Amino acid sequence: MALVTDTPQRRDGRRARGSAARNRARNGGPRIGSHIFLLMLVIYFVTPLWWLTVASTKDTAGLFGGSGGPLWFDDGFHFFSNPQGLFERQDGIYWRWLGNSFLYAISGGVGATVLAVLAGYGFAKYNFRGRGAFFGILLGAVMVPLTALVIPTFVLLSSVGLVNTIWAVILPSLLSPFGVYLMRVFAQEAVPDELLDAARIDGAGEIRTFFQIALPLLRPAIVTVLLLSVVGTWNNFFLPLAVLSDPLLLPVTVGLNGWQALSNAGSGGEALWNLITTGAFISIIPLIIAFLSLQKYWQGGLSLGSLK
Amino acid sequence: MKAKFLASAGIVAATAVALTGCSGGSGSGGGGGSEAASCTNTIVNAEAPQVTVWAWYPAFNEVVDQFNNANDDVQICWTNAGQGNDEYTKFSTSIESGSGAPDVIQLESEVLSSFTIRDSLVDLTEFGANDVKADYAEGAWEDASSGDAVYAIPVDGGPMGMIYRQDLFDAAGIAVPTTWEEFEAAARKLKESGSGAVIGDFPTNGRAFNQALFAQAGSVPFEYDSANPQEIGINVNDDGAKKVLEYWDGLVKDGLVATDDAFTADYNTKLVDGSYAVYLAAAWGPGYLQGLSDADPTAVWRAAPLPQWDAANPVQVNWGGSTFAVTEQAKDKELAAKVAMGIFGNEEGMNLGVDKGALFPSYAPVLDSPEFADKEYEFFGGQQINKDVFLDAAAGYEGATFSPFQNYAYDQLTEQIYAMVQGEKDASQALDDLQASLEQYATEQGFTIK
Amino acid sequence: MATTTAPTSSHPAEATNQVKHRPDRNYRRKQRWGWLFVAPFALIFLTFLILPLVYAFRMSLFTSTLATGNKFVGGDNYIKAFSDPIFLQGLGTVAKFALIMIPAQMLVALVAALVLDNLATWASKFSRLMIFIPYAVPVVIGALMWGFLYSPRFGPASSIFGIFGLTAPDFLAQDNIFGSLVNIVTWQWAGYYMIIIYAALRGIDPGIYEAAVLDGASDRQIALRIKVPMISSSLVMVVIFALIGTLQFFTEPQVLRGVAQGAIPVSYTPNMYAFTLAFSYSQFNYASAISFALGIVVFVFSFIFLFLTRKQSGLK
Repeated sequence: MALVTDTPQRRDGRRARGSAARNRARNGGPRIGSHIFLLMLVIYFVTPLWWLTVASTKDTAGLFGGSGGPLWFDDGFHFFSNPQGLFERQDGIYWRWLGNSFLYAISGGVGATVLAVLAGYGFAKYNFRGRGAFFGILLGAVMVPLTALVIPTFVLLSSVGLVNTIWAVILPSLLSPFGVYLMRVFAQEAVPDELLDAARIDGAGEIRTFFQIALPLLRPAIVTVLLLSVVGTWNNFFLPLAVLSDPLLLPVTVGLNGWQALSNAGSGGEALWNLITTGAFISIIPLIIAFLSLQKYWQGGLSLGSLK
Repeated sequence: MKAKFLASAGIVAATAVALTGCSGGSGSGGGGGSEAASCTNTIVNAEAPQVTVWAWYPAFNEVVDQFNNANDDVQICWTNAGQGNDEYTKFSTSIESGSGAPDVIQLESEVLSSFTIRDSLVDLTEFGANDVKADYAEGAWEDASSGDAVYAIPVDGGPMGMIYRQDLFDAAGIAVPTTWEEFEAAARKLKESGSGAVIGDFPTNGRAFNQALFAQAGSVPFEYDSANPQEIGINVNDDGAKKVLEYWDGLVKDGLVATDDAFTADYNTKLVDGSYAVYLAAAWGPGYLQGLSDADPTAVWRAAPLPQWDAANPVQVNWGGSTFAVTEQAKDKELAAKVAMGIFGNEEGMNLGVDKGALFPSYAPVLDSPEFADKEYEFFGGQQINKDVFLDAAAGYEGATFSPFQNYAYDQLTEQIYAMVQGEKDASQALDDLQASLEQYATEQGFTIK
Repeated sequence: MATTTAPTSSHPAEATNQVKHRPDRNYRRKQRWGWLFVAPFALIFLTFLILPLVYAFRMSLFTSTLATGNKFVGGDNYIKAFSDPIFLQGLGTVAKFALIMIPAQMLVALVAALVLDNLATWASKFSRLMIFIPYAVPVVIGALMWGFLYSPRFGPASSIFGIFGLTAPDFLAQDNIFGSLVNIVTWQWAGYYMIIIYAALRGIDPGIYEAAVLDGASDRQIALRIKVPMISSSLVMVVIFALIGTLQFFTEPQVLRGVAQGAIPVSYTPNMYAFTLAFSYSQFNYASAISFALGIVVFVFSFIFLFLTRKQSGLK
């Protein structure tokens, strides 16, 4: 029962065989055409981020009329003074936003993953009454756009006094129908019933069976679902915009958007463009680092959700 | 049945909180749900009752501190709930769900009717608003009231003037235009001079800006009185509006003005890099411009009155401006009204707003003070722009009436002007189509059209 | 050796295990434990999805106008929605997006994945990550960024096109805005889809194409005749999510509208229309109806797509 991510030997074997076969079939050159194609793709995907990097080193005047043009550095290099501006603006509220984003993404992501693992395992391994109907509703509910839910969610949260608290963001982000779906598909494949039955015959309870047998087998999927739900919560924009009014509770996406609105406003507006670009630049670094450093965990897991 | 639904919803949600909250076991802050917890400012006087305020004015923290230090019997608990639409979205959601609104809220005067029609703002006359009427500029007060009712206390205004690049004018040999006729001539001259600059921008998303230009030629787009909320008069295609829009359509067709969306990065770039020679601006414009513009040290900026249709009978117009209103959800409406009138309703508070926040005050004691009139602006080479331009504009402004569906009206206006600029229709047709769409919308929404 | 993409299904095994071999007592136990495992999720699901949906649906059965009160109208809002030219036009727009944007993303993702699958160089690993990186950028920030990049004077377009001696088009003009939006979405999501497809390709047993190589098949033939059919269930899944996302298209045009209000009207997509109705025009009831009407359309389209691809996806 080989899984997608635990296949180092298999993959090495495959590579050896594959390239051997290739070398026989082809001239075995360095595949210049493929590399040029990839280079073009990389340029396309990276240029906007390069622009953002450059922009984050400019002050507002440099952004609007600097010497280097949009894609190159300006004479004035503000790579250090811009983050300093982020510390100064409203007592460094930007860093608080970044911290909030971390809090929401990690608590929402971990919570959603825990719920998804339990539910996915339950759906996959127990044939309880109402399972099919529940799962059907789950997939159908994803079809209605979330804008419809803002008012009802607000009403709900406000009836229990949770509007404008961190729970107003964290609780709704515990919901990850997609995560449950992935977990179900994966658990069906990766956790053999025979193994569970053997554990039960040995006298293990359902909970012990789950923790000792199923959970280790589900690990690759857990990492994937965790990353996906962390990204989902990190991206969260509209719900926090509607349910939070305290600026100290905002995630960084909503906060930066607010600065953008302020900079676009005429009356009572302030031009914060350099802080926006720098703030955006800094805010995407953590996720990029997370993805780069965890790549061996998530890359295989992403194909888990293939329909059966 | 709404209540029943909410009760059951509440139970489920509370259970969910209990489950997840306890398993987390952190008991982290911010979960209390008490409104007092979310003040951005520090409360000076802990015993005094608190009034919650949403506002986005720059440097407002200093104004709040000043107020709280000066008042023993009431304290402001301030939150910046976002600028403009972000704040309105939250307020709107709060109104719909019946909770979550602050006691006092900053609203631009153009959206007041849109909220009064939802019964969400308190008429301040019963709390003595008319007693302070004399303290405010007439036009601004008019904007904040509807018939006999007063729904907000004006804070700042946007009387209009013309900010221009003296250096570009000089280079092309252009005198400062005082009428729209001269403005057009100047535009032609500038174009012929080959400087590459155009005289200015006519943004299709100008909204209040476009409306203000129409008003200068006598256009009165709406008649509406909140005492009689089901009735509305719509005349967005009157002669004044058509005259102005035809004028600009001509300039656009001849390539004499740009048609960039206002307040975008591109527009900002062009404002400061000399692509536009003129910035038709409100009194808050200089503050906005200053934030952008150390980019070009050679630029020489000056201010002059807005060009006129008839130099002998000048008409002054206003673009933007905001107010403080008291919401129907306020716990203590009288106290909230006191705060709404008091925040900027004193010289200390308003002076902070002017000096730190670059506001153009509606509060007469500051507006009429010699310090304000004589203020020299370094950005304009020491020109006293208030005395030269904006004070007259403010004094001459008589107020305007906005519709209770102003956002819809503006969105439609943007679409029509955009279609005109794209060459799909002429100015007159654009305004006639606007009129038709607004009439239809008003009828659908249950209004009687006067 | 069953990976998730392998066609051998475990359904039969599951069915035998659970139905035939279980005595009654065990069956009841499984019932209870099944619900216990699902319960925490079910609670959140009911609270934050079903309950709000029911509430929103109830709202959609009422009407309230600015000047008059609230009254029950049953399905009238839905009749109005499906005959509302603005809503229908929005549907037309997202349908057009679905027809162009999804193939564009799929093409980029699939070709990139196939090329990467054939390479094992340092450069290819690096490229894989760089192509994926935009996924880590929050959608709002990505769209804001592209808004800057598209600005004719502020952005870099004119200097980039200038290198080749060309004049940059106005990306924000009415005629170009569609392509500009397609580009933003492709930039943001193609890398993510590429990784999914790539992971599926790595899951194929390479023994399968060894024979083809020996028979002298070219890389292209192997890719089109063997690899693509082998990963078709992954492709179906990717397209389904892209389809749902595209029909609910909202964030990118909403953010880009900030710099192109004329070219992107408030009702450009059905989701934007619902948003504007609710939060800008205070028509909450009709906005709910529009959202559900859109939900119905999404459901129908997803269903049709799954039906058409039932062979590839393995669904019966």
